[in-house]
Parts: sequence; C-alpha cells; structure tokens
Amino acid sequence: MENWTQRILLKKCVALLLLSGLSTLANSQENLLVEPDVRPQIVDESVIDTENFEVGMFVGVMNIEDFESSTLVGARIAYHLSDSLFFEANFGMAEGGETSAEKLGGFDLLADSDYTYYNFGLGFNAPGQTFFLGEYTFNNNIYVVGGVGSTEFGGDSELTVNFGAGYQLLINDWMSLHVAGRQHLMRTDLTGEDKLVFNTELSTGLSFFF
Amino acid sequence: MRNIITTHLMHLRTEFMLKMINHSKKRISFQFLIMILVMITCPLAQAEENVIAGTQAANEDSNVLSRVKVDEAFVEWRSGPAEGFPVFHVSEKGEWLSLLIRKTDWMKVRDGKGREGWIRVSDLLKTYDSSGSLVSIVEPQFDDFSTRRWEAGLMHGEFDGAAVNAGYAGYWMTEHLSLELWGSQVLGDSSEILIANINLLHQPFPSWRFSPFFTIGAGQLFIDPKATLAEAENRSEDTIHAGFGARYYIDNRYFIRMEVKDYKVFTNRETNEEATEWKIGLSVFF
Repeated sequence: MENWTQRILLKKCVALLLLSGLSTLANSQENLLVEPDVRPQIVDESVIDTENFEVGMFVGVMNIEDFESSTLVGARIAYHLSDSLFFEANFGMAEGGETSAEKLGGFDLLADSDYTYYNFGLGFNAPGQTFFLGEYTFNNNIYVVGGVGSTEFGGDSELTVNFGAGYQLLINDWMSLHVAGRQHLMRTDLTGEDKLVFNTELSTGLSFFF
Repeated sequence: MRNIITTHLMHLRTEFMLKMINHSKKRISFQFLIMILVMITCPLAQAEENVIAGTQAANEDSNVLSRVKVDEAFVEWRSGPAEGFPVFHVSEKGEWLSLLIRKTDWMKVRDGKGREGWIRVSDLLKTYDSSGSLVSIVEPQFDDFSTRRWEAGLMHGEFDGAAVNAGYAGYWMTEHLSLELWGSQVLGDSSEILIANINLLHQPFPSWRFSPFFTIGAGQLFIDPKATLAEAENRSEDTIHAGFGARYYIDNRYFIRMEVKDYKVFTNRETNEEATEWKIGLSVFF
C-alpha cells in the first residue's frame, strides 16, 4: 500500500518536475536567441561635436582714402555652409587721420574721425597644405570673399561693397591663423565732392571653430 | 556555461526516466534532489551572466565615442575636412572607426592604431554600427520643427530707393508661426535710418522646399540726417508693416530668404508716409 502511494505521489512529482524542467530549457534557449552577451552600441550623432561656426579677432592697417592709414581692430564670425563655401560677417574699427589740406591749412575737416564698418557676405575656400622645415605639415585654405555692408566715417554711414582674399593656416582642428587683404568701395562727399573711394584693409588674426 | 547545464539537465532527465522504469526509490529520491539543485542553480547562473553583460555595457557607455565598421571596399581619408585636401590613408572593409568631430559634410575619425583623418559623412552611411545595422546619420530636416526652433539671417536690399542692410533672429512657436526681431540700417543719400521691428511670420506650407510666407509687424524708425547737410534734427517715428516672401532651403542647415514689405510710417506731420522694401539674404538654423 505504502509502496503504491509512494509511486502515485512520485509519478506526479516527476511529471511536474519534467514539465518545469522543459520550460526552463525552453526559456534558456529563447534567451540564447535574443540576448547577446555584449549590448550593441548604436551610433548617436548628437554625441558627435559639430563645428561649423568660426569666430575670430583681427588687427591690421586700414588705409582710408584722403585720410591716411591707421590701426584696425575687428571681429569676425563665419558659418561654414559646405566644405568650400562660407557665410561671414565682420566688424572693424579704425581712425581717420588728416588730409594734406588740413595739415597745410591747420583746420579740422571732420567733426568725428572714428571709422567703423560692418559687412557680411560669402566666401570661397580653396584647400591645400603648407609645409614647414620639411617636418611639419599643416592644412590651409586660400579664400576669396565678397559682400556688402556699411561704413560710418565723419559722422555719416555709407553703403560699402567689399571684396578680398586671404590665407588661413589651420593650426589644429579648432584654431587657425588668418592673413587677409580687402578692398572697401563706397561713395562719399566728405572732401566736398561726391566720389567713389577705395579703402584698403590688410589684417591678420586668429579664429576658433566651435 | 548555460549550454553545459542544459546538456547536463537533458542527461539527467533521460537517466531519470530509465530509473523510473526500474522503480528504484533510493535513486529516484537522489535524482530528485539533484534536479532541484540544478533548477535552483540554473536561474542563478543566468543572473550572474546578465550581471557580467551589464558591466560590459556600462563600460562601453562610459566611452563616449561612437564606433562604426566600414562596409565599403574602402573609404578614403583626407588630411582635412574638404575635397581639396589630399588623401593620405584608406580604411578597408571590416575596419572599426571611432567618430570624433564633424565639420560640414565631413567626419573626423580614428582607427584602431590611433591614426586620425577626415572622411565624408556620405561614406559613413555605408558603414555598420556595432548593432550590425547600417549607420544613418540623422540630420535635422528643414521641416523638422522639433529640432529647428531658432534661425537667424542677414539680408540686403532696397528701402524706398535706398540701400538697406538687415539682420534678424526668429523663434518658431509652432510649425507655422514664428516671432522675429529685426534690426535694419537704411543708407540713404540724405539720411541714415535705423529700424527696429518685431513681427509675426506665418508659413502655410512648412514642409515645402520653396516655402512662401506672410508677415505683419510693428516697430520704430530712427532718422539721422547726413552731417554734410544743413542742420537737421534727428527724429523717430512709429511704423507698422505687412509683407510676403519665400524661403528656399538649399541645404537642411541654411536657406535663401527673400521678401517684400510695405511700411506705413506715422509722422507728426500732416500726412503719413509709406515705403516699400525688398530684401534678399541667407539664413541659418540653430
């Protein structure tokens, strides 16, 4: 009797265990299929730093037609549209000197000799490489720029068209050195007659990408 | 480890069934014990493996760089982020590259040997990430309102016959409606006019590549007569305006914008004045 009871009970137990054993087995096989040991890492572009903006400062010489040359300081911001095309805006400050008539006659023509300008426009980069001492290699760009803006001189603001060219030495990924020349064309009547003047700018500066 | 346990489990089960036929109670109770043990330890082993995998994933997360596997026959490396820079290295199929920084359509990468160079973003689209799926560099689109809320631009044109330079910044409140702040400088023959404006812009078809818009706004004019003229006083006037224009998306980061606005200037003289302005310029999304 005892034997019989044990057998019934054991049969039940074994059936139960087999079932649960099988289900565990199935589970573990399922896990094998869907769970790799290393979790995949999906590329997320937002973690990659995008550096299309460039800001910089420059110093140079501004040659103001009829009013001598003076020191120029300024700031620049550029936005790179593609690998060769950029959009830029500049702001610069200089000071007008005296005309030869003022020097000889001993009078002052200008009430306000501050020369400030701003401009914006497009630029085009031609890339290349620069080699120093046969050891160091740097990337560089030769660029041409052109745009419009305004110049305030002698108390008046005039529409100014500018164009120029420059050399940009890319020291590393985030810093570069510029040397540039630019012509500023505007109409003015400060000397008594309405005429077109060409003011020449030569400058050098540092810029930073961010 | 899991495989060993599973195989072991299967052996045990077969053995167990054979013993059942022999009615050997002692054996049964012994196998029963072992089976319980195996069943208990099996989930434990699994849990342990999960913990190990979790640690590995955590280690990878702390490494900020994204990695991709080259699937093209080769990918050219250039010394700088432009087509004009020389090719100095080539990555072969199957090589893993880490992505560092991006400039316009170029990505700086580093390979397993620590070399660094620039590859085209479009070459990257033919590579695989570590999940084995093709890399899709998700760039915000011009009609992707959720990622493009701010824009700014510089424009040039004519205001009532005189040259005008203008700059603005805009914020998209909804997909269709944007609030803009403008500063303009009109360079006339006899005076300089500075205009500060605030306006609303409505874009009926935000997903069109060539997207027309309407605008209305109000502002203030500051008129500064030329110094070379006989003495004249500076004055300021209120103004309202309405206009229309269009935006053309050249790329998903920037677009050309052109517009015409009609200004009504409220003077303190007998009649109010009107002026028409047109401008064209380039704007950038942030």
